[in-house]
Amino acid sequence: MGIDLMPQFWIETIWLVPCYSLLGAALTIPWSPGILSRTGPRPAGYINLLMTFCSFLHSAIALSKIWGQPAQQVYFPWLQVAHLDLTLPLEISALSISAMALVTGLNFMAQLYAVGYMEMDWGWARFFGFLAFFEAGMCALALCNSIFFSFMILEILTLGTYVLVGLWFSQSLVVSGARDAFLTKRVGDLLLLMGVLALWPIAGTWNFTELAQWAESNPTLPPGTATLLGLALIAGPMGKCAQFPLHLWLDEAMEGPLPSTILRNSVVVATGAWVLIKLEPVLALSPVVMTTMIGIGAVSAVGGTLIAIAQIDIKRALSYSVTAYMGLVFIAVGTQQNEAALLLVLIHAIAMALLVMSTGTVVWSNITQDLTQLGGLWSRRPFSGISYIVGTFALIGLPPLGGFWALLKLIDGLWGTHPLLVVVVLLVNSLTAFSLTREFGLIFGGKPTPMTVRAPEVLWPMIIPMTLAMGVALHLPLILQTLNLLPDWAVLNKDAALVLTWSSILGLSLGAVVYLNPSIQKPIQLPVPSVQKLLAADFYTPQIYRATIVLGVAILSRITDWIDRFIVDGFINAIGLASILSGESLKFSNTGQSQSYLLTIVVGISVIGLMLVWSILPV
Amino acid sequence: MLLSLLIWLPVLGAALIGFWPQNLSEQWVKRLALIVSTVLVGQTVWVISQFDLSQSGFQMREILDWIEPLGLSYHLGVDGLSLPLVVLNSLLTWIAIYSSPAKTIRPRLYYVLVLLVNTGVTGAFLAQNLLLFFLFYEVELIPLYLLIAVWGGSKRGYAATKFLIYTAVSGILILAGFLGLTWLGHASSFDYEAVQTVVSTLPLVLQVLLLGVLILGFGIKTPLVPLHTWLPDAYVEASPPIAILLGGVLAKLGTYGLFRFGLGLLPEAWKSIAPLLAVWAVVIVMYGALAAIAQHDIKRMVAYSSIGHMGYVLLGGAALTELSIVGAVSQMVAHGFILALLFYLVGIIETKVGTRELSALNGLMSPVRGLPLVSALLVLGGMASAGIPGLVGFIAEFLVFQGSYAVFSWQTLLCVVGTGFTAVYFVILLNRTCFGRLDSALAYYPKVVWSERFPALLLAVAILFLGVQPYWLVHWSEPTTAAMAQMAAAYETAPNLMSVKAVAQSFTDLTNRDSLSTNL
Repeated sequence: MGIDLMPQFWIETIWLVPCYSLLGAALTIPWSPGILSRTGPRPAGYINLLMTFCSFLHSAIALSKIWGQPAQQVYFPWLQVAHLDLTLPLEISALSISAMALVTGLNFMAQLYAVGYMEMDWGWARFFGFLAFFEAGMCALALCNSIFFSFMILEILTLGTYVLVGLWFSQSLVVSGARDAFLTKRVGDLLLLMGVLALWPIAGTWNFTELAQWAESNPTLPPGTATLLGLALIAGPMGKCAQFPLHLWLDEAMEGPLPSTILRNSVVVATGAWVLIKLEPVLALSPVVMTTMIGIGAVSAVGGTLIAIAQIDIKRALSYSVTAYMGLVFIAVGTQQNEAALLLVLIHAIAMALLVMSTGTVVWSNITQDLTQLGGLWSRRPFSGISYIVGTFALIGLPPLGGFWALLKLIDGLWGTHPLLVVVVLLVNSLTAFSLTREFGLIFGGKPTPMTVRAPEVLWPMIIPMTLAMGVALHLPLILQTLNLLPDWAVLNKDAALVLTWSSILGLSLGAVVYLNPSIQKPIQLPVPSVQKLLAADFYTPQIYRATIVLGVAILSRITDWIDRFIVDGFINAIGLASILSGESLKFSNTGQSQSYLLTIVVGISVIGLMLVWSILPV
Repeated sequence: MLLSLLIWLPVLGAALIGFWPQNLSEQWVKRLALIVSTVLVGQTVWVISQFDLSQSGFQMREILDWIEPLGLSYHLGVDGLSLPLVVLNSLLTWIAIYSSPAKTIRPRLYYVLVLLVNTGVTGAFLAQNLLLFFLFYEVELIPLYLLIAVWGGSKRGYAATKFLIYTAVSGILILAGFLGLTWLGHASSFDYEAVQTVVSTLPLVLQVLLLGVLILGFGIKTPLVPLHTWLPDAYVEASPPIAILLGGVLAKLGTYGLFRFGLGLLPEAWKSIAPLLAVWAVVIVMYGALAAIAQHDIKRMVAYSSIGHMGYVLLGGAALTELSIVGAVSQMVAHGFILALLFYLVGIIETKVGTRELSALNGLMSPVRGLPLVSALLVLGGMASAGIPGLVGFIAEFLVFQGSYAVFSWQTLLCVVGTGFTAVYFVILLNRTCFGRLDSALAYYPKVVWSERFPALLLAVAILFLGVQPYWLVHWSEPTTAAMAQMAAAYETAPNLMSVKAVAQSFTDLTNRDSLSTNL
């Protein structure tokens, strides 16, 4: 085989990557309860680590081969029915393979982390199986170049969320969390499905590339159609990215195991952003949709960070920061800055994974995720502390780490045209800096509490991925630099860079002043308790849902049930069947079956006889 | 010969079991029935292998004159509409026999009746003479009535009689419709094709009237809301194997009848009332799903779920596009598999745990004391029913939706909302049943052995396989459904899915009328 053939080999077989993961998921089956009990459930985890590593390796090699080359299209025919051609198009490009490398790399870390974190858990087979399943889904989504198949994958992942969040199903909060995650995402998915259904007759294609071409050809669509179509299409990503008002699930999903949170907070939420970016040309057909997207993003970004500051559960606080950053991605896509959006997704994924891993070690060694019960861990768990700091700096706009470059790109794009949005981004950046410093202060600052006095060292399988992630976060700017993805100093928007840096410093120092200062009494009480309560309770979103949609469906179903019992069934009974039925049933139960046989035979024969007679008569 | 064997072999088996001179142990009765059923499955595979996919009409015909003055002939044939349902019938009968409890009262009668039901249903699917269809349709009714009345639950008498009366009325309506069609059209006989050729001579109003009678008749069997009240009682009171037959196959006689005789014989009338049918479909989908949410008994919940799913079939039929009809037929099969799996699992839960009440069930996913595999498969079944991609329910529903969207957009979108409600009640069911904490003081359930798991696994594999490879689901019926759609399309120049342009035009027209904006 010639040396020139090899690169193509790795690229052309890239579709195997999701298959490795899927195989890993399938291989956990023998360790499900009641089949292979002699070995314990651990081999299931090790197999998946291996398979995920294969996936990562393949993606990494393919990435190095395809870098700088044009995208390739591969087609897998799936179903041809009644002139509807459902062929799965894959786009093999540097971008899609990078996404796969990111997903598989992060999943490898998350799985290794889980080996330590889930040490004592009995559900290994299920847990690792689902993680691998998620990985397969996300890799497939990265390759998939069709909105129809993307919808399918997103919806399968919705089911994945349900079972993964519900892993510890015997706890009631887990059960309701799994339920809400599934249903909220399903709402988004079904609206997306409506968009998918409506798109076909208008555009005649579901292929993203062709959709972009179609959208560029300025199709004449009534504005109402374009708007409704766009709104339906953004609903799916809204659910996945946990945007207001479909954000509730992410917070509740925090009841699931922490290692899965690493994956969820970093890349699972980004699946929505990915589809959104791919759909951007279609969405741009309607200005209303773009404005809506910006509005949703801004509300989620500001609201999310404010709520994050009021949380006392460390995992939930981080989850709202995820909502906030995905809000920024929405703003980026809404202003047609797809590159900034992608960069944001990338740096957010790595920084957030690092933050979750760092807090995970704290949760694991102190057996609490309540911020009010933590404190004084800096001297005991310095390594977790350093990781947390790196994660924070990598997420917010602080040079020279990744967050700075992503946010700078976003602000630069908004600079002259959307001054208000610049303010929003800066505000979110400041507030995130404040929020993360607050969490840092409450965990690592102050004096040890009864919960943190012991704080044992965590297991090495947790330390290694955390360190790895820290290394990646620190080196990300260098990597981006070598790939020529960072702006040149000469063309840098110096004003933007300066305000961005200052906004971060402002947030950091304000947070430090309040939360690293022992003379200020914790927990902090806002002068207006109702505002604090409002934020702590997530704008009362769960209550609002319960009082509106949930109540509405419940009432509707009760009404239907009542109609069914008393009107439909009651009507039938009222017209005279009631007496027969009750009489007959009494007779059967009292005197056995003989009469019923007789009755049936009589009925049967008479029906057939009647038919015969009827048909003979006119002849 | 092939098709006749399919019909008469179970009768032979039934006679063997029924008239066996010596005493037969329960074990042997079941074994005999299972052998007959297995041979039947093999024969079905044979029929599949002989099936010519390039033809849209009836194949493997068998014509024998029977009572000529009546117009009754023994005329059999199979096409893309009936083949999947015949296969479904054979498979589910096998599963029903396999999963019947080892100890039953009157075992000989039980298996004789199950085999007779199989004959009736297969015969009805294959009959190409209206009277012959009616005979088989009635033949299936009586054994089934007995199966509910004798081997059912505590309220079996009530449920069985209700079932009997409803289905008898359904039979009478169908007969009236058939007689009307044949006599008013002056057809030479009751043969399907003979009737088909004369129907167009009837005035449209009369056609619509006759179609109404047929829809009522088959609507009871399907059932279509509000003709469904026999269903929850019958399904719940029937023992699990019989519930599988009832929900998986028997209900399909109704939808089959709607498509074969409603749409197939009266396409013009069908088309003229199609908008009405589409709205009806929405009502059914919503009604079934909302009523299911309010149920406290999991079997009843699944029963209502079944009602709702028939709405998609009706929607697909109403839209009359090639895609929607093939979707509707796929939905019949998909629903058969999914419902069979759900009823089977609910049956296991009932026998092991001793209750079907949502409020009493809890934490069955627990690996030690619970029923973990049953729970896992229940998740799979529920999700398949809720239309999660990768499982067979999705592709069937999707084809219906995509096919009917161009014709009935807002009705389709409302049905999509209906799938959302489906997700709601399945999440309720799964959360209460599988999730939660198992009370280990009470949880001393009998083990689920592998032979009990086997049918569920078989169905789960079918659901998964057909979901991932839907080609095997749709391509049997595609030529036939395409011909049906073309036949209906001939009557009027209506939007045709094949031309994207026309669809886009109709879409724009729709939005111009603002109908979409109010309903999206």
